[in-house]
Amino acid sequence: MLSITARNLACAMRSGLIGTSSRVAAVRCLHGTEESAEEFDKRYEKYFSREGIDGWEIRKGMNDLLGMDLVPSPKVIEAGLRATRRVNDIALAIRWLEGCKDKCGDQKATLYPYLLEKITPTLQELGIPTIEELGYDKPELALKSVYDA
Amino acid sequence: MSALRLIPRNLSQLTTPTRMAMMGRRFASGGDGVRLLIGDREVVGYGINGRPLYFDSPDCPFPAIRYREVTPELCAVREKELGDWKKLSLDDKKLLYRHSFCQTYAEFQHFSPEWKICLGVALWLVAIGMGISIAMKAKLYGELPETFDDEHQSAQLRRIIQLQMNPITGISSKWCYHENKWK
Repeated sequence: MLSITARNLACAMRSGLIGTSSRVAAVRCLHGTEESAEEFDKRYEKYFSREGIDGWEIRKGMNDLLGMDLVPSPKVIEAGLRATRRVNDIALAIRWLEGCKDKCGDQKATLYPYLLEKITPTLQELGIPTIEELGYDKPELALKSVYDA
Repeated sequence: MSALRLIPRNLSQLTTPTRMAMMGRRFASGGDGVRLLIGDREVVGYGINGRPLYFDSPDCPFPAIRYREVTPELCAVREKELGDWKKLSLDDKKLLYRHSFCQTYAEFQHFSPEWKICLGVALWLVAIGMGISIAMKAKLYGELPETFDDEHQSAQLRRIIQLQMNPITGISSKWCYHENKWK
């Protein structure tokens, strides 16, 4: 008895609400659709591979990406590295690698070797050293006092 | 912390021509003193808020300016950087990195003993506060007024009950007026 009543009630509610909900959906669509992971990667790959991108824009894109709750995919990392090559800034490339490694968080043991394996051809092609080759996986210098700098 | 390093030291000891040159720079940059603040460092990005500040942080790993000022030796390495990066030695790469950035990720995320000074300062402040209140209790405040002794307090309680103060939830609600005793 209760289940029949509930079903009737649900049907009545649905028919009453159907107009509203479709209107709500239409309004929400104005804010853009949900972006899939592949589209997201593609968007950033395109952003970094644009002709005539400058250091300012690269930094902006990288700062944004490293501020998000994600690990950049190898394709995006490669695109970023190539962008730094085009603006001739190797420091930026090294920092970008460090940032991507840091984004692996507590999964560094599994994720980082995977990323490195994927991007190694690009690193070798461009002549960018890995963080381990530079010795930057461990602290290299102690910070000097502000007054001696 | 690192941003503090950009403040020029010994401003008062500068000679007048140097100061004049600095004034020139100040006005050359729209009067906000950006050049005065960052010297010859390149402004390379937006940073965190558009101000030319340098700091190392994983939230914003690419600050608005390079860490070091441009020098002739560095220019030579920058020239080499324009070519094939495979021809750069490891030291050159490190030099370029340290020119742009102060500390690596591993360095600025390394555990630092800074918590000691934080805890120390906090405990000092608590100790000073307690010292002040003890001193005030001992020296500044006089004796408590006579209304604090038992006799006056019970007289006050009696008066409260007689006037039926707070009869719903307060003291008088606990007093039975028929039997003249506490409920």
